[in-house]
Amino acid sequence: MKCLQLGFATVFGFWAFAQALGQDTAPDKDQFDARIRPFLVKHCQECHSGQKPKGDLRLDRLPPDFAESANRERWLNVAKRVRAGEMPPKAKPRPPEKEIEAIAGWVNSKVEAAAAKRAAEGRVVLRRLNRVEYENTVRDLLGIEIELKELLPLDTSAHGFDNIGEALHTSSFLMDRYLEAADAALNVAIANGKQPPLVKKRYTLKDERIVKISEESVYRHRDDALVMFSSSQWNAITVGQFYPPDRGKYRIRISAYGLQSSGKPVTFRVDGGPMLMGTKNHLVGYFDAAPDKPTLVEFVDHFEARNHIRISPYGLANAQMVHKIGADKYEGAGLAVQWVEVEGPLHDTWPPECHRRIFGDLEQKPAPNYRVEVVSKNPEADAGRILRDFTRRAFRRTVTDQDVQPFVDLVKKKLAEKQSFEQAVRVGLKAVMVSPEFLFFREKPGKLDDFALASRLSYFLWSTMPDDELLAVAGLGGLTDPGTLSAQVERMLKHPKAAAFTENFLGQWLSLRDIDFTSPDFRLYPEFDEMLKEAMVRETHLFFDELLKNDLSLTNLVACDFTFLNERLAKHYGIPGVEGLRMRKVMLPAESHRGGVLTMGSVLKVTANGTNTSPVTRGAWVLDRILGTPPSPPPSGVSAVEPDIRGATTIREQLARHRQIASCAMCHSKIDPAGFALESFDVIGGWRENYRSVGNGKPVTIKGRRMPYLEGRKVDPADALPDGRKFKNIDELKQLLLSDKNQLARALATHLLTYATGAAPTDADRQQIEAIVKRVREKDYGFRTLVHEIVQSKLFQSK
Amino acid sequence: MALDRRTFLRATGISLALPWLDASTPSRALGAPIAPPRRMVCVCTPLGLHAPNFFPEKAGKEYPNTPYLEVLKDFRDDYTVISGLSHPEIENSHDSIFSFLTAAPHPERRTGFRNTISLDQFASERIGTETRFPSLSLSGEGFGLSWTSSGALVPSDWSPSRLFARLFIEGRPDEKEAQARRLRDGQSILDSVGDQAKRLRSGLGANDREKLDEYFSSVRELEQRLAKSEEWAKKPKPKVDAKQPQDIPNSGDLIGRTRLLFDLTHLALQTDSTRLITIMLGGASTVPPIPGVTMAHHDLSHHGQDPAKLAQLKTLETEKLKVLRDLLTKLKQSKEEGGALLDHTMVFFSSNLGNASNHSCKNLPVLLAGGGFKHGRHVAFDAKNGPPLCNLYVSMLQRMGIEADKFGSSTGTLTGLKTA
Repeated sequence: MKCLQLGFATVFGFWAFAQALGQDTAPDKDQFDARIRPFLVKHCQECHSGQKPKGDLRLDRLPPDFAESANRERWLNVAKRVRAGEMPPKAKPRPPEKEIEAIAGWVNSKVEAAAAKRAAEGRVVLRRLNRVEYENTVRDLLGIEIELKELLPLDTSAHGFDNIGEALHTSSFLMDRYLEAADAALNVAIANGKQPPLVKKRYTLKDERIVKISEESVYRHRDDALVMFSSSQWNAITVGQFYPPDRGKYRIRISAYGLQSSGKPVTFRVDGGPMLMGTKNHLVGYFDAAPDKPTLVEFVDHFEARNHIRISPYGLANAQMVHKIGADKYEGAGLAVQWVEVEGPLHDTWPPECHRRIFGDLEQKPAPNYRVEVVSKNPEADAGRILRDFTRRAFRRTVTDQDVQPFVDLVKKKLAEKQSFEQAVRVGLKAVMVSPEFLFFREKPGKLDDFALASRLSYFLWSTMPDDELLAVAGLGGLTDPGTLSAQVERMLKHPKAAAFTENFLGQWLSLRDIDFTSPDFRLYPEFDEMLKEAMVRETHLFFDELLKNDLSLTNLVACDFTFLNERLAKHYGIPGVEGLRMRKVMLPAESHRGGVLTMGSVLKVTANGTNTSPVTRGAWVLDRILGTPPSPPPSGVSAVEPDIRGATTIREQLARHRQIASCAMCHSKIDPAGFALESFDVIGGWRENYRSVGNGKPVTIKGRRMPYLEGRKVDPADALPDGRKFKNIDELKQLLLSDKNQLARALATHLLTYATGAAPTDADRQQIEAIVKRVREKDYGFRTLVHEIVQSKLFQSK
Repeated sequence: MALDRRTFLRATGISLALPWLDASTPSRALGAPIAPPRRMVCVCTPLGLHAPNFFPEKAGKEYPNTPYLEVLKDFRDDYTVISGLSHPEIENSHDSIFSFLTAAPHPERRTGFRNTISLDQFASERIGTETRFPSLSLSGEGFGLSWTSSGALVPSDWSPSRLFARLFIEGRPDEKEAQARRLRDGQSILDSVGDQAKRLRSGLGANDREKLDEYFSSVRELEQRLAKSEEWAKKPKPKVDAKQPQDIPNSGDLIGRTRLLFDLTHLALQTDSTRLITIMLGGASTVPPIPGVTMAHHDLSHHGQDPAKLAQLKTLETEKLKVLRDLLTKLKQSKEEGGALLDHTMVFFSSNLGNASNHSCKNLPVLLAGGGFKHGRHVAFDAKNGPPLCNLYVSMLQRMGIEADKFGSSTGTLTGLKTA
C-alpha cells in the first residue's frame, strides 16, 4: 500500500509538471505568432520557404519545438547568423537591432527552458538492447553459445550507431521474436536429454564425395595424404564425413604439409557451417602448412548439429591450370592433407553448467517423448529461488520481492494449469527475458546509480551485461568513486570481451561493417581476394587496439609511421619484406603514403563501390567521421553525377562545375578536397597514378600477363582547403589535417560519447566536451586517456 | 489516457471475421452475394530497372513496347506503366529503401529519421483481422518493406519452405498441442510484463514514457494477435496441391528465390490466407546463376556506362520481368467468383531507385497490374514535377475498399488511373 501511494505521488508530480509545461505553451505560441513569425516572414522567408529553400532551410516550416535537438540547433543557428549580420544577406535591408535582440532573446530563453527540462528528464532517452546487445546478453545470462541476432529485425541507426535510444523502436512483431528467441535460448540452456556421446574419429579426404566425383584432375592420391592443387572455390573440400548429430564444442586437428612448394609454406583456410551453397558459414582461420613436413593444426570451435568444416588451399593455381596438366604430373605447389580428426561434443559436466546455473542440482526424471525434465519436491519454493536468482542477473541489479513476484505468480498460475514444474519455470524465465527491465536500460534522471552506471559501462566496452565482479562493485556502492571506476575500466579493456568495443564502435564509426556491401568488379580489380579483404579489416582492428592499449595519440588515426600487415596486405600496399600470414606491426617506409585510417584498404573500400570512387562520398565521409563536421545534406532535386568508367572523362572533370556554381561551391569547397586527395587510391585501396578503364586507354601488362583492364586517365589528387592552404597529394593533406589536433579529439570524443551513452551530445554539451578535450591534450591526446575521460565525465555518468 | 486497454481492443477490432472462402460464412449460407476480397501485393526490386529498357517514350494507349515491357506483352491490357513518380523529401541513396512503402522523409540523413507505417500495415490495421495472416512481409534476402506505425521494422519471411509450412501444413498432434501451449503461455507472459511496464511509467520523463508506451502497446497488440492465432489454430489450414518448396541456399539466385516467393504469393492469395503481401527482392551482392551474367547485381547497377555491364544488366533484369510475368499468369488463370484472381489483386511492382547507377530516387519505375483498374496505358508525368508516389498509394488503398484520403506525402489520388 505504501508503495502504491508513493507511485501515485510520483505520477501526480509528473502530471503537475506536465501541466506546468502545458500552461507555458499557450502564451508561448501567442508570443511566437506576435513577435517571431512576423520577423521571419518579413526578413527571411523570401528565400527560406517553399519547395526549394536556400540552404535547405525552410523557416515557414521550422516548428518552435526546442525539445527536438535538430530543431534546436537550427534555431540557434538562425539567431547566431542574424546577430552576426550574416543574415539577411548584405544586399537586403538590415532589420532593426531591437527586433534582432528580441528574436535572439527568444531563442535563448527557449534553449534554456529545454535545457532545464532535459536536466529534469535526462539527456538519454530510455533505450532498449539492440540485437547485438540482446544476443550477447542472453549468451552471458544463460552461459550458452547461440546465434539470435538473425531472428530479430534490423535495428535503426541514428548518428552513425545502432544503439541510440531515440531510434530504437518496439513493435508487436519484435515482441513476438523476443518470445521466439527466448524459447530458442532456453532450449539450448536446459538439458532435456542424456549427455550426447563423445565421438572421436579420424577421416581421410580421399573418401570425400567431391574427390570421388570431380571431373577435373585437381587432386593427387598419395599413400599418406590427399593433395589439393587447385584454389578454385569449387575444388575446396567439405569434410562431409564429419556430420555431428549434436551441437557443441568440437576439437578439430588437421595434419597437412606443403608439397612441391619450393621450400615455402602452403596456406589454407578453414570454414565451419552448414556448407550449403550461399549460406552463411564462419571463417575459422587461415593456417600455414610447412613445406614437406606434416604440420598439426588444432582448434576448438562451436558447431551446430549437422555442420561441416571445409578446407580451401589459398593462392595456388586455378582448376583449369592444374587439370590441363593433370594432378599426377602437375609440378606446382599443393596442399597435402594427411587426415582430419574430430572430437566432441566436449562437455565437462552433464547436465552442462548452463543448465545447472538455472536449476542447481534439482533432479531430472524421464518425461514423454524420450526426454528428461527437471522435477521438484517443493515447486513453489524452488521456483521462487530460481526466479529470484535469474531475475537479479537479468535485471543487472539487486532485486526486491516485488520485482520477482510477477514471475513467481506466473509460474504458480502455470502449475495450477497442471503444467509440469519445468514447463512452468520455463514460462517464468521466458517472461523475465521479455520484461521491460530486461530489455531496457534502467536509468533515472540525474546522476546514474551504481547499477545503472555498471550497465552503461558494460554495454559501452563489452556490448553485453556487467559480469559478476562489476555487479559486485556496484552492489557495494563504490563504482562512482573515480579510482574504482578507473580500475574497472582498465580491467574491462584488458578482458577479451573488449573485442566487442572494437567490433561495434570501430565497425560503425569507420563503416567497416559495410565491407561486403559491394564486391569489386573482377575485370577492373582482378587482384582482389577474400584474404586481402580479411587482412584489411584486421589491419584497422589491430591498429585501433594498439592505440587503445598503449594510450597512443589519437592523431595517429590521421597520420602514423606504423601499421599492421601480413604478406598479402603488404603486397597490396607495395611494402617489401613482410612474409607469411601473420599480421604484425610494421614500420612504414617514408615513401609509402600509408599510415592512419584514411589510407587503409578497409576504409578506402567501404567509401567506394565496386566499380568507381567518388570524391564527394569520400570527402563527406572524412568531414563526418574524422573531422566531426558533417556537411549539410545536398539540396533536393539535384541529381548526382552519373559515373562513367569508359575512360573519356574523369570524375574530377565531371565535378568541375561544383566550383563554378556559387551555391554548390559553398559546400563542395569543403567536401571535395579530401576526396580529391583520396583519388590516389582505387576502390580496393590500391595506390594508383592512373584510373583503370574498360573503354579508352593503354593495355596493361604485369609480369608478362595482360590485364583485363586498360590504363585510363591520370589521377589529379592536388587541391586546396577552403581556407586556401594547398596540398599536392594525400601526404600533404594529412599534415594539414593534423594542424588542428583539438578538432580531431573533439570529433572522436563526440562519436565515443554518442556510442557510449546511446544519445548524441548537443550544443548544450559543448563545454563538457571541451573539458574532456583539454584533459586529453595534456596527455598528448592519448586514446586510452580519452576513453577514461569519457567514462569519468558527467555526461557519461548522468542519464 | 492514451493506453486504456478497452480503447485499444476497440481500435484493433477484436471480433474474428470468417475467411471469405469458408463455406460456413453465414451470409453465403443465406445466399447473399458476396464481393470477392480485394488484395494487394507490393514488390520492390531495390536496384531499380534500367530506365531506357523500361519506360516507353510515348504516353497513352499506343506506346511501342520497350525491351522489358515486351516480356509482359500478353498482359498489356492488365497493367499500367507509370513514369514521373517519386517520393518528395527522399534524396538519392540506397537508404531510400526504408521509406519505399512509407514515404517517411529523409531516410538518407543519418540523424533524426523516423520511419512511419508502411502501406500494407496501414491496410492491415483496417482489414487484417479477416484472414489467418493479417499480412505477410517477404524478402529474398535480408530485411523487408513493412514498418509499423512506431517506426519499427516488421521482420520478414525469407524461407519459402518455412512459410509454406506455416500456411499449409498441419502439425502433428503433439506439435499442435505444444504450439497451442506456446500461444497460451505467450498471452500469460505478455499480460504480466504489460502490467510491469505500466508500473515503470511513473517517475519517467515524457520521452521515456513514450518509449515505454510503445513497448506497452506492442505487448497488448501481440496479446491480441496471439489470441486470434489461437482461434485460427483450431481451424484446419487450407489444403493445396503444391508441394512444400525447398529453400534455395544460394543468396545470389535472386530469380529462383523470387520465383518461390511469387509462387507462395499466388497460393496465399488463392487460399485467402492473407490479402496483403510485401516482397523485397534480394540477391544484390553475389553473382546470380544466369547464363551470360558474371557479376553481381549491385556491381552491374554501377555500370558506369560500360556497354558490357549494361548488356549483362539487361539480361538479368529481363529475367526478373519474366518471373513477374509468370506471377501475373498464375493470378490470371486462377478463377474465383467475379472473375480472375488478378482482377481483385493489385500487383504493384516498382523500386526505391530510379537510377541505381547514381542512386537517384526520382522517376521511379512503376508498374501496376490487376486489381480492377482500366489498364493498357502508359501514364506519363513530368519527372521534375510529377505527383508523389503516395497518390498512387491512396488510389490503391481506396481500391482495397479502405476509406483513406491521405497516406504519407499524398496530395490526392493519382490522376489518370481509373477503375474498371
